[in-house]
Amino acid sequence: MAKIELRGVTKRFHGSEAVKEASFTIHDGEFFILVGPSGCGKSTLLNMIVGLEEITEGEIRLDGVRINDVDPKDRNMAMVFQSYALYPHLSVRENMAFPLKLAKLPRAEIDRRVAQAAEILELAEFLARKPAVLSGGQRQRVAMGRAIVREPKVFLLDEPLSNLDAKLRGQMRTEIARLQRRLGTTTIYVTHDQTEAMTLGDRIAVLRRGEVQQIGTPQELYMQPRNLFVAGFIGSPAMNFLPARMIDNRLELPIGSLEISEPMCRRLEATPGPLAAGFRPDHLQIVLSDSRQEGGLHIRGKAEVVEWLGADLFIHSDITLGEFQEIALPEELGLAPEKQHRRTLVARVDPATRVREGDTVSLCLDPRHVLVFDAVSGENMSLELTH
Amino acid sequence: MMESGGKGSLERLFWGAGSIVVVAYALIPVAWIISLSLKRTADLSDQRFLPSVVSFENYGVVFHDPQFPPALWNSMSIAGLSTLIAVLLAMFVAYAVVRLEFPGRRLIMAAALAIAMFPPVSIIGPLFNLWRSVGLYDTWAGLILPYITFALPLAIWVLAAFFRQIPWDLEKAARVDGATPLQAFARVIVPLAAPGVFTASILVFIFAWNDFLFAITLTSSNDARTVPAAIAFFTGSSRFEQPTGAIAAASVVVTVPIILLVLMFQRRIVAGLTAGAVKG
Ligand SMILES: Nc1ncnc2c1ncn2[C@@H]1O[C@H](COP(=O)(O)OP(=O)(O)OP(=O)(O)O)[C@@H](O)[C@H]1O
Ligand SMILES: [Mg+2]
Repeated sequence: MAKIELRGVTKRFHGSEAVKEASFTIHDGEFFILVGPSGCGKSTLLNMIVGLEEITEGEIRLDGVRINDVDPKDRNMAMVFQSYALYPHLSVRENMAFPLKLAKLPRAEIDRRVAQAAEILELAEFLARKPAVLSGGQRQRVAMGRAIVREPKVFLLDEPLSNLDAKLRGQMRTEIARLQRRLGTTTIYVTHDQTEAMTLGDRIAVLRRGEVQQIGTPQELYMQPRNLFVAGFIGSPAMNFLPARMIDNRLELPIGSLEISEPMCRRLEATPGPLAAGFRPDHLQIVLSDSRQEGGLHIRGKAEVVEWLGADLFIHSDITLGEFQEIALPEELGLAPEKQHRRTLVARVDPATRVREGDTVSLCLDPRHVLVFDAVSGENMSLELTH
Repeated sequence: MMESGGKGSLERLFWGAGSIVVVAYALIPVAWIISLSLKRTADLSDQRFLPSVVSFENYGVVFHDPQFPPALWNSMSIAGLSTLIAVLLAMFVAYAVVRLEFPGRRLIMAAALAIAMFPPVSIIGPLFNLWRSVGLYDTWAGLILPYITFALPLAIWVLAAFFRQIPWDLEKAARVDGATPLQAFARVIVPLAAPGVFTASILVFIFAWNDFLFAITLTSSNDARTVPAAIAFFTGSSRFEQPTGAIAAASVVVTVPIILLVLMFQRRIVAGLTAGAVKG
């Protein structure tokens, strides 16, 4: 049993706010992800939960009990560090036994738990070795082992896979997911990799500059991002964004205009500033010259870059913004256009399509999947208002 | 490391020959002194490398000398105390400089370096007068104080370099694993810092042990005279004899503790002990 509640948690370093007013609840047994660009305060938040960093304002509760002033050693939380933080002077066995010895468990119990963890993590043959002679993946496993032997209330993992190569990362990701299901321990996992976030998390919190942008299941974040930042951060390749404006109850984009619903119209009319339209690469489909899809928005352009990844084919095509004003996107997203007044649209199409770089292609945008954002506040205007 | 064929053996030859040259250069004088110390007084100038008859008479002379045994005791105590105090202080300084944010961190390191560059001979005259007037002349404290002063910069720099390499994340890891701050320090940080502390201690000890300048100037009797100074006052078994053999024997006696010390702690000064805590 472990439920963690954050209430208005704020962290200030010399006056600058690393975490602002974070308030959310992590349920018992949940796999909860903190994701966001570098420097957004993920580690700081995690360190406050585990007790390594003091909480400037607000409170954190564990199963209803305020733990702001509880020493980290008494919180019964286990943490896996990005650097693994294995004790170099101790063998793998001693590393895993370290927390148990501090807890003064009986010898036999320590041996049993270490043996069990070593079996789960396939470390049995390395128990006598020092961390220095292990490979990256093995070290990562030892760090996991040291966390699970304690049977803690909560696991906290700070970018545990970022030091591994891509293949191992995928493998360990699956292993961590399986381990967490098996143990059912509440887990908070920090990453800036959105693939990890999407595949592992029951729920995800997206952070930006210390502020929680949105909390939801991977599906919710993908389908109903609350704002432009979340929309651009979740999904790979990133969502396409274009400037937009409303004219005569139609949404005008540099690539054409779309019909919009009545309530949506009213909402957009109330928006004073410029608008931004966003759509995922998945919703741009290639059309062959002879077939024309009804209701779709057609774009003809040159395939500047074609990326074939086996299961996916990405086509990058440039369009001009015409008389539309540039919109500013959150800089952390790294989506700033390379060329003045032009945008590169990315389409994810059927990999069987035969397209070569330089070909002229015709793309069709499904208007039902276009999201409209207030370009200034970033708010997603197409979300059904629930309140 | 891959070594193959000609290049490998040539390389080995190069390293082998190089090592022999260096070892010979360093050790031949030592061997010469050992040989001298084992010769009989009559054979001292026989121009042979090895003694024709091995005799321990010089060692007998040294240990029956009225001033050598007290000097040995003085040397050990003064060098030992200086090392203890200097390394302890240097540990605090290095820890603070590496771990804490405070104004003037760089200044401390620069000041330490400046002291290390200061030629001791330039203060020895004033120090002599000062010590005489405050009553530190010819006392242990009178030597320990300047030794600490001149050893501290060295110890601080060595320790700071070692402390910087310690992955301090481990301290946090230990805290989360259930350790009190003191346990985290004792069980994780101390074992990792130990090689640095041993290295610094040995360097400081050797510095204090070998010092001649302060020892000869600031002492006048068996109360505080250390071995290097005592050797200079050697007279031999009779006043008409050159004390060469006795000096050689005394030199061997003072070299042995250093060699023992280094051998004893050699395994603990293994560099790279901290490798493997962090990936890469
Ligand atoms: N000890 C500290 N003193 C001052 N500022 C700090 C300290 N620790 C973190 N910060 C600042 O707080 C902000 C959040 O840092 P944090 O380490 O939580 O980011 P992060 O989301 O974990 O980033 P990354 O993905 O790079 O690990 C950063 O702007 C950082 O500079
Ligand atoms: Mg971080």
